[in-house]
Order: sequence, then structure tokens, then C-alpha cells
Amino acid sequence: MHKGLLKRLLPHVVLLVFSSAILFPILWMLRVALTNKMNAYQIPPVWGNPNFNNFIEIFADNSFMGYFVNSLSIAIGTTLIALPLAAAMAYSFARYNTGGLPLRLAVLSSQMLPPVILVLPLFSLFLKASLLNTQTGMIIAHITISLPFLAWLLVAFFEGDIVIIEQAARIDGATRLQAFLRITMPIMAPGLLAAGLLSFILSWNEFLFALILSGPQTNTLPVGLSSYQSHRGVDIALLSAAAICAILPVFILLPLMKKHLIKGLSLGAIK
Amino acid sequence: MNTRAASGLERGDRRFGLMLTAPGLAVLFLVIIFPLLFALITSFFDYTLINPNHDTFVGLDNYQEVLDEEYILTSLWVTLKFVLASVMIEFAIGFSVALALNSVTRFKNFYYLILLAPLLINPVVVGLLWRMILHTELGIANYAISLMNIDPVNWLGNANAAFWTVVMVDIWHQFSFMAILLLAGLASLPREPYEAARVDGASSFSCFIHITLPLMRPVIIVALLLRFVFAIKTFDIVFIMTKGGPGTATDIISYFIYRAAFFGLDIGRASAMSIALLLIVLALTIYLYRYMTSLR
Amino acid sequence: MKRLLAVIISIIFLSSPVKAETIRLLMETVPDTKYIQELLPEFEKQTGIKVEMEVISYNDMHAKLIPQLLSAKGSYDGIVVDFYWVGEFIKAGWLMPLDDLVQRDKFNTSVYVPKLTDLVGKVDGVQYMLPFYNYSMAVIYRKDLLEDPKEQAAFKAKYGIDLKVPTDWDEYWKQVEFFTRDTDNDGKKDLYGTVIQGQRGDCVSMQWANFLYGMGGRFQDKDWNPTINSDAGIKAMEAYREAVVKFSPPGSESFCFDEAANVMAQGKAYSLQTFNIMFAGFDDPESSKVVGKVGITSNPGGGLNGGWGWAIPNSSQNKEAVWKFYQWVESYEIAKKRALLGGAPTQTRIFTDPDVIAKRPYYPILGEILAGSQDFPVFTYTTELVEKMGLEFNLAATGEKEPKAALDAANAAYRKLLIKDGKISE
Repeated sequence: MHKGLLKRLLPHVVLLVFSSAILFPILWMLRVALTNKMNAYQIPPVWGNPNFNNFIEIFADNSFMGYFVNSLSIAIGTTLIALPLAAAMAYSFARYNTGGLPLRLAVLSSQMLPPVILVLPLFSLFLKASLLNTQTGMIIAHITISLPFLAWLLVAFFEGDIVIIEQAARIDGATRLQAFLRITMPIMAPGLLAAGLLSFILSWNEFLFALILSGPQTNTLPVGLSSYQSHRGVDIALLSAAAICAILPVFILLPLMKKHLIKGLSLGAIK
Repeated sequence: MNTRAASGLERGDRRFGLMLTAPGLAVLFLVIIFPLLFALITSFFDYTLINPNHDTFVGLDNYQEVLDEEYILTSLWVTLKFVLASVMIEFAIGFSVALALNSVTRFKNFYYLILLAPLLINPVVVGLLWRMILHTELGIANYAISLMNIDPVNWLGNANAAFWTVVMVDIWHQFSFMAILLLAGLASLPREPYEAARVDGASSFSCFIHITLPLMRPVIIVALLLRFVFAIKTFDIVFIMTKGGPGTATDIISYFIYRAAFFGLDIGRASAMSIALLLIVLALTIYLYRYMTSLR
Repeated sequence: MKRLLAVIISIIFLSSPVKAETIRLLMETVPDTKYIQELLPEFEKQTGIKVEMEVISYNDMHAKLIPQLLSAKGSYDGIVVDFYWVGEFIKAGWLMPLDDLVQRDKFNTSVYVPKLTDLVGKVDGVQYMLPFYNYSMAVIYRKDLLEDPKEQAAFKAKYGIDLKVPTDWDEYWKQVEFFTRDTDNDGKKDLYGTVIQGQRGDCVSMQWANFLYGMGGRFQDKDWNPTINSDAGIKAMEAYREAVVKFSPPGSESFCFDEAANVMAQGKAYSLQTFNIMFAGFDDPESSKVVGKVGITSNPGGGLNGGWGWAIPNSSQNKEAVWKFYQWVESYEIAKKRALLGGAPTQTRIFTDPDVIAKRPYYPILGEILAGSQDFPVFTYTTELVEKMGLEFNLAATGEKEPKAALDAANAAYRKLLIKDGKISE
């Protein structure tokens, strides 16, 4: 009996340990973001009246709002372009085996590419095309990540029961295009939305491309945040508030796509 | 159905498939293949930021220079150490957490949501967050260990400590990836072998060794390979936390190439390095892909 | 919905073209930038030109600047150039020669200290920059300890020489050793003779240069043959390592300038080799516990000569307006106001101005520090040299490499870059 209890408790102990290891730093950051500047630096910690002053200051700061808006529009732009392209590609991979194995492999490997490899030629090309420090350039750069990711991820979406429904539609006289657009897409819409959110997050969190290809007018949040850490007098209270703002949208989206996250993270290897 | 109609159908399928794929492929070609070819060409030229054009063909000189580069082997070694250390520890922790999570019913969703959290946090935020916590004098970490009468640790200043600090932060950020993938694998395992083993009186430990591990093999390999390739991409954490230092302790290859390009201003040489890295990653990917398709 | 509208409006707002009356400058987060920001309203009132400053930390500046300098239409109308970058920027042809503007508007460039004109003003006789401020390196020391009769007696008894402001390296080094101690007898050192700034790259390269000069060494001879691994260099590196082990706080092999300054400001060190612009900070009660207790003097053998210059990139979209701003900011009146606020002057007339000296009595010393300062290698690949050399120095500072081996490697790297730049042949 004693052993049975231990056996039941042990998993909870393991999970509690690691959950607190995850939660503690995040909560600490939240705590720093909610204190005033004097208290933020105090060791041992001083607990004062929590307030939102840091957040107010962050949003009053034009440059931070700029980063936020840039990140938002680049992530939305990237997803809006990449998602339909990827859906069409994935559908024809799944249904018609277009391009066969080599093409799938090519799409997978572009997903595996270390970004530093791609960013150098993009930099040179953007320089020639005057695309450095433009939102268009940033969207193009993020498409190199999102498009292969989505294409690979969505292949698995279009396999399964949906085939039967499609065939029924085809027998009823629908063309291939009609079956794809009128039958498959609406049914798959929730899945596509979840995939789109993942692509949004990829772009929202991306750093290296943004570091090199963006500029004063197009800096995204990660670049903005990285420039907050400077020399003496780095204001960790403000920094924490800004960091919280950077991760908040992602956490808000989390429940919407929890179901599809595993598939996304494992590039469809695990369903 | 006669053969002519069938082949007509097939041709229609193929044409429709191509029609759907073409726009995406065209974009992929433009934004990925073309830049990669550009990098390949650039790697044979003296292309610098001071003189950014393909005027001087230098053949394999850039590659020779990369081989002569004093610290490139150190950097590759650091990368390998980093990838192995973080992926292996993430695997160990991830597997324990996955096993634990698979065996509980209460609070399962709660734990699961917490696990997902770090994966979605911006790596820049992760780096900044830990820098704040690990600051030698103003950070909470050294204060906490001082309460336990442990001397303060120079987390990012000492070469050895800095390497393991970066590994630890990467583990914090990524171990859930392993946990969640392995959990998905565990959840889909058949029940029958376990029931049979229990009838035979096998212990939980021997069930784990003889049933769980062999059945989980495919999932484990996929998870390891994916994390392996993703870990090679690491840049952000090092850029934010250590800039490759102290010494060469955390000088991973992505940051090494970044420096060659933007401190050394030598895009040609940096391109030669990236082409070499590309070949390594490509080989790993092909291996991964063959493995993944052999599972189907 | 409202929020979405706000986002859309701000997108439109942010992408609208910059008005002709606005100039954009990229600046570093240093005190002098702050002083100018305080004075800016005057300029905006006088000329109607609005000045937007993007102020970022040094680490990010180079990487941020390059794309803007390369493109035909840069985002920055005016920039400040660190002396590190001068060789590279000129070689790449990114900066616009200012001679025509100087002549047209009879701008007097002879007011600048010649050492700074050489550093961040003229290159091969062409005026590319106007010296903005100087950050030549100096020794900041604890006046109160140095002038304490008890310390003086003890020092004399131990070394047989007087305890006074050091003028040569041996004397300074004895003081460093002397003041490293455990003041409260708890078995742990709590006062350090100096604070090493050994972080890889920029920090260690700059600080170690002062050791090299102190030993009479140089980075190269007059024909550009590198001499980093000379006997003086090796002695300098041995002293550097000795300081890391004995005379400097733990962890200082990875400190940069600010961490070290904090140690000094906390009253935990006798001396610090740092930029003269840091000096004012030690008299600020908000950040310092040693207000009124510090003095500044030349590094024995001369400190590193550093400075920033104003420049107009060729990619500037608003050259005339920026030039107007430079004329204003470098005018006698404004340069003096900046110095009164605590800025680091570049013009001889400011160093000798009675009002400035009355407010800041140590400025003549700053003038001497600048006059006695030594040059750091400036050529096309200075940035890369600092990366490579800084790595070797750091490895020697941490004891991972022997001083000789590290310096040999640094010297070889320097030679290779000089050959690449055509300064010397193989």
C-alpha cells in the first residue's frame, strides 16, 4: 500500500519540480516588471506595491510601439502570403504526390537550414534590390521559414477521412478545383488557422534575419529587446515589462492551437 | 474503366497537382534556392562589404582560408559539444517528464500547458531573462545560493561555467519539445504487451526496458534527430548571453559565421563557411528523412 | 476593432515619408550624447530642423551602420564614427569629404586638438569628420587613499619611495600591489589595486593597450611591422595576468568597462584604467560611493587615444541640414555648454576656457592626458583585428594560453590583416 502511494506520487513530484523550474523565471520576470525601478535592483529582494507603471512607460515609448507594430505587420503579412501557397502545395503533395519524394525532401531540408546560411545571400541580394530595412524584405525573409514549415506540416492534414468526402464530391460532378476549394478547404479551415498561428509565432519570434535585414524603421520586437541590454543602467524593470509584452500575444494564442502544436513542432513526424 | 480514360484522369491529376504547386515552388525557388546558389557563387569570389561585387574570382581561396582559420575547429567542437550536451540532457529530462505525465490523470492539462510555455517564448527573451537572473551581483540566482552558504557563481564569466550556463538555458527553453514528442509516442503505445508482461510478473522497470524502449524507438530517434538539427541552428541565446565568450567557450558555428561576415566584412569567406555547414546539415536531413519515411 | 484601427493608423503613420525638416542621427549611449540632447531644443528653435537621435549601445552600432552605409538611401543623415572604423569606412568610400562645406562656410577646423584631427578628423589630408568627443584612457585613482599620511608612511616603509600620483609604470604597479588587501580581516580581499577589464574583444584590447604603452611597447613600428609579441608586449601580458590573479576582483577577466566602473564606484578598488569620460560619473552621488574621493591622471607611458567624429555618410538624404547641425553643435558656444555639462572636449579653446576650468578644474589634466596619449592601430581591418587580438588577450588573461603563445598568435593575425590591407608585403 505504501509503495503504491509512492508510485502514484512520484510522477507528480517530477512534474512539480520541472513545472516550477519553468514557471519560476517567468514569474520572476513578471514580478520585476511590476515593481518600481529601485526595487527591481534590490538584492535581497524587496517586495513593494505592484503597479503597471513600467508597462505604461513602455507603451508611451514610440520606439517600442514601433517594434510592436512592425512585428505584428510582418508576422501577419508573412502568414497571409505563406499559408495559401503552402496549403496548395501540401494538398497536391498529399493527393497527387506531385514531385514525389525528391520534392518533399527538398521542402524538408529548407526547413532544416541554419538561418545564418540563408541570411548572408539575402543580405547581399536585398542590398542590390534596396530591400534592406523594408517590411517587404522582412516578409520575404520570413517566408523562407514559414512556407516550407507550413507546406511540410500541412501534408498530413490532407490525408485521412477527407479523401472520402472529396471522392463523393467528385462523383457528384465537382471538378478537382471545386473539390479542393469548396469541400476540402472549408473542412480543413480550423486546422489551417492553427497552422497559420504557428507561422505567425515563428515570424514573431524570429531574431537573426531581423537583426541583419531590418533597420531603424523596421526593427521587430526581438531586435528592439536585444538593443535594450546595454551598458550601465540597463533598466531591468522596463526590459521585463517589454519582454512580457513580447510573449503575451503568443500565450493568448496558445489554447487556439494546442491541438496542432505537436504536429507542428515535430514537423508532422508525430501526429 | 478503360485505360485511356484512366490515363486521361492521371494526366489531369498531374496537371492539377502541378498547377497547385507551381506558385509555392516558384516562391521557394526565388527566396531559398536562388539565394543559396548566390551564396555558392559568392563563395568563389572576393566579395566583401567594403567592395560588394563579384569582380574578383578567387577560386577555392575562400575555402582554403576557412581551413586555415585558427579557431574554426574550436568553434565546430564547441558546437558539437553544445548540441550533444543539450540534446542528451533534454532527452533524459524530457523522457522522465513524458513518463510522469503519461502516468498521471489529475492536473494533466495544467502540467501540459506549463510545459508548452517555454517553447513559444522568444529566444531573445529567454536569453535576457536568464541574464537578469544570473547576474553575479544583482541576480536572484546567486542570492538564492548564498542563502544556502554556497559561494557566488560566475555564471557567464568563467569559461567552463559559461558553456554549461548556455547549455542549461537551452535545456530550460527546449526540453519540453522532447517531453511533448515523447509523450505523444507513449500515449499511442498498445496496451497488450504490458498486460501480458504483468501476467508474467514483470517489474515496472523491466517493462520499461523490454517493452517501452523498443516500441518507442522510432519516436525517440525522430525526436533526437529533429532536436539535433534544430540545435545546430542555435544563435540567439549565444548572441544575447555571451557573444561567444569568454574566450571561445560558447563560440558556436552560427555566431562564428556571423562574425566573419559582419566583423570581418568578408561575405565571400563567410559564404564558404555556410556552404560547408549546409552540406553537413543536408547530410543529417537526408538521414532523418530516410528514417522518417522508413517508418511509414 | 478600435485597437486594429489604431494599429493600421500607426502603420500608415510610420511608413509616411520623413519630412524634409527632420534629420536622423545614429548615436551611442554615452554622456556626451545626453548633453547634446539637453541642448537640442535650442537648435530646433533656431533653425526649425528637427533632430531625431537613435541612441544605441556600442555593441550594436557597427552591425547597424553597415547596411545603412552600403545602401544608396541610408536611414541615417548623420553618423558618429568611432576611430576603430575610420580606416574601414574611408576605404569603402562611405563617408563624404567635408572640405567643400568647410571652405564654403569658413568653418574653422584649426580649433581642434591636432591629435584628434589626426584620429577622427582628417585622413590623408581630406577632412571626413569633425572630432566630436575624446575618450582617451587614463588612470582613475582614490585620492583619499593616496593622500592618507598613514598609507604614505606604510608605503614608504615598504618600498622606500614616496606614495604620490604615479608617473611611471613600476611606481603605479607597486601602488596596485600595495592597496590590494583585506581591510576587515575576514580572510577575503575587499580592496583591489586595480580592476581588469578582460572581456573578449573590444574591452580587453583597449585596456591591455595601456599595459603595452606602460611597458614602452607599441602595436607596430613605423613601417607597420607588427610588434605585439615584443619583450615589452610579453611583460605587459604577464603583468596583466598577474593582475587578474592577484590584484583584481574575481571574474574580472570577463568584465567590460561598466562592470569595472561599478566596482570602483562601490569603493572596492584603488585604481581603474578607463575612459576619461567616465570620471564625472564617480562624482555622482546617485551611482557612486566615492564622491569627492577620486582623482584622474595619465596612464604611465600614455593611455590609449580614442575618439568619435561626426560624419556625413554618402547615403545621407539630408546633407545640408546635417551640416548645419554640425556647425551648430561644434560652435564655440555649444561646445562650451557641452563641456560645462561634463562633456569631453575636442577643441583646444575649450580646454583653456576660464569658465570651463572654473566649473571643472580637472579639465587641464584631461588636456594633458590627451596630449600624452598613444595611438591604437587604425587601418581597414581594425574591427576584425580587435576581434581576433581580443580573443587571444582574453585567453591569456584567463590563463588558458601562455602570454607568449597568445601574443604570437595575435601578432600573426595582425600581420595577416596588414598584408590583406596592403600595408606590408609578405
